[in-house]
Amino acid sequence: MADAAPALAASPERTRRTGRPPGRGRPPAPLLDLRSELSSRTRTLLGVAGLAGVLGLWIWAAEQGGETGLVPTPLETWQALVSQWSAGTLWSDFTASSTRIGYGYAISMVIGILLGVLIGSMRSVEAVFEAPIGLMRYVPATALTPLLLLWFGIDETPKVLLIVIGTVFFNVLMVADVARGVPREQLEAAYTLGAPRRTVLSRVVLRHSLPGIIDVARINLASGWLMLVVAELLAAQEGLAFRIVRAQRFRQVDTMFALLVVFGVIGVASDLGLRKLRDVSSPWARP
Amino acid sequence: MGPAVRAVKLQVRDLEKRFPAKRRGGDILALSDINLHVDAGEFVSLVGTSGCGKSTLLRIVAGLEQPSSGDVHVDGERVLGPGPDRGMVFQGYSLFPWLTVAGNIDFGLQLAGLNRSARSERVAELLGIMGLTEHAKRLPRELSGGMRQRVAIARALAPEPDLLLLDEPFGALDAQTRLAMHEFLRQVWRRTGATILFVTHDVDEAVYLSQRVYVMHAMPGRIVEELQLPASLVGGPEVKRTSQFLDVRDELHELLLGAVRAS
Repeated sequence: MADAAPALAASPERTRRTGRPPGRGRPPAPLLDLRSELSSRTRTLLGVAGLAGVLGLWIWAAEQGGETGLVPTPLETWQALVSQWSAGTLWSDFTASSTRIGYGYAISMVIGILLGVLIGSMRSVEAVFEAPIGLMRYVPATALTPLLLLWFGIDETPKVLLIVIGTVFFNVLMVADVARGVPREQLEAAYTLGAPRRTVLSRVVLRHSLPGIIDVARINLASGWLMLVVAELLAAQEGLAFRIVRAQRFRQVDTMFALLVVFGVIGVASDLGLRKLRDVSSPWARP
Repeated sequence: MGPAVRAVKLQVRDLEKRFPAKRRGGDILALSDINLHVDAGEFVSLVGTSGCGKSTLLRIVAGLEQPSSGDVHVDGERVLGPGPDRGMVFQGYSLFPWLTVAGNIDFGLQLAGLNRSARSERVAELLGIMGLTEHAKRLPRELSGGMRQRVAIARALAPEPDLLLLDEPFGALDAQTRLAMHEFLRQVWRRTGATILFVTHDVDEAVYLSQRVYVMHAMPGRIVEELQLPASLVGGPEVKRTSQFLDVRDELHELLLGAVRAS
């Protein structure tokens, strides 16, 4: 009891120091609480603030750059974009790049889905591929570029191959994880309902994995673009990354910026598109 | 119906199950000297504490696991693997989340190769029995736990199995829902005449639902007692207050406690 009195006396002082009203427990702080919900208005406001911050930083940097011409303003960038468009190069570069990524990433995903689902479902397949894939995914794909150029020349083949090699191991391993996540009860329920192995694989494992597979595709697509840029920087006649190197040669910083913005827009668009595809194809998996 | 005219539906003989031990030196004996049978139309429970191997035993009957020795026969035919003749209901997570209630029930019917009209007729019939007709187009995630298990039972019953296996199907439900599910399963059993093997650790559940109970002990998993329950206990919830019910329940509790004390 004798100890209690000083403790009680100390409490108003502590309150003054932390600036909290007297009382027990930590009061809520919506902006700082972990995983607390925000009102949609606050969310939008914070999102706009983030974008405005980036834009502000850009404008500030352009002003600092001033006469050097090393940092274009947003307006100059926009004008460069328009001129690339009206010259027709933007469209041809875009189609060249997206054709490469289209082929490369499609091959990578097909391998990723076939092998990944099998690895995630069959211990035997897992045992065979675990070591080789584990080894090869740590070889930086970009380090293979000189070899690919030597083997396949400088046409489209090495570029597409680089995109495949740079993404396929991650796609396989991540799809395998998705397939492993199919609850065992669902496989067993299918078996007890008379489904043969192949049917369980296609109608349960693959179907259950679909939203996860689309997510894997969405996440690793960024690596695909990375590989594309490396390929185009080294040897190409057209393409978005090639155009950046070209622009650098002529010190057209505004064009370089414009193409970076294009990359960003493509990334955001494909991300949103794949999210949409996931939600439409598998509404049951929506969070 | 006397015991003499009843055909044996399920027969398990001298069954043993060993699991390879994680460390070197010997296996783990999970099931030892298991002998049991279930007659056609009978409702039999396997009761035991967790780890006694009752679920493993049920999974072997389903064909999802292989016995180390001994065998399982259904209608005189040896069980080699899983098949639609032995429907199984799991504790949870077994419904296909991308299929609607009707789609889940239809899954086994499609595999059976039934034509469209026969399938939709059977689905409608089961939806009716299960009281799910107005939920036919909903996804599993939109259903309560009790409703989900009703769908799981309907799905298992759809291909008209010889034997319905239930692995603690109500273990994850709250107490009130579980009681409602007991009445429901009772009804389904009466209406379909299904042969049921039911695994549970809940003594009340076993006594209330089944005609006969096998009591299992652990280490190694084995059947220590077979209890024929009095026919008078088969009735509505009111029997739970009769002294006969309470006596049988206490006896079963005592048998299971023996297992816990021994270990």
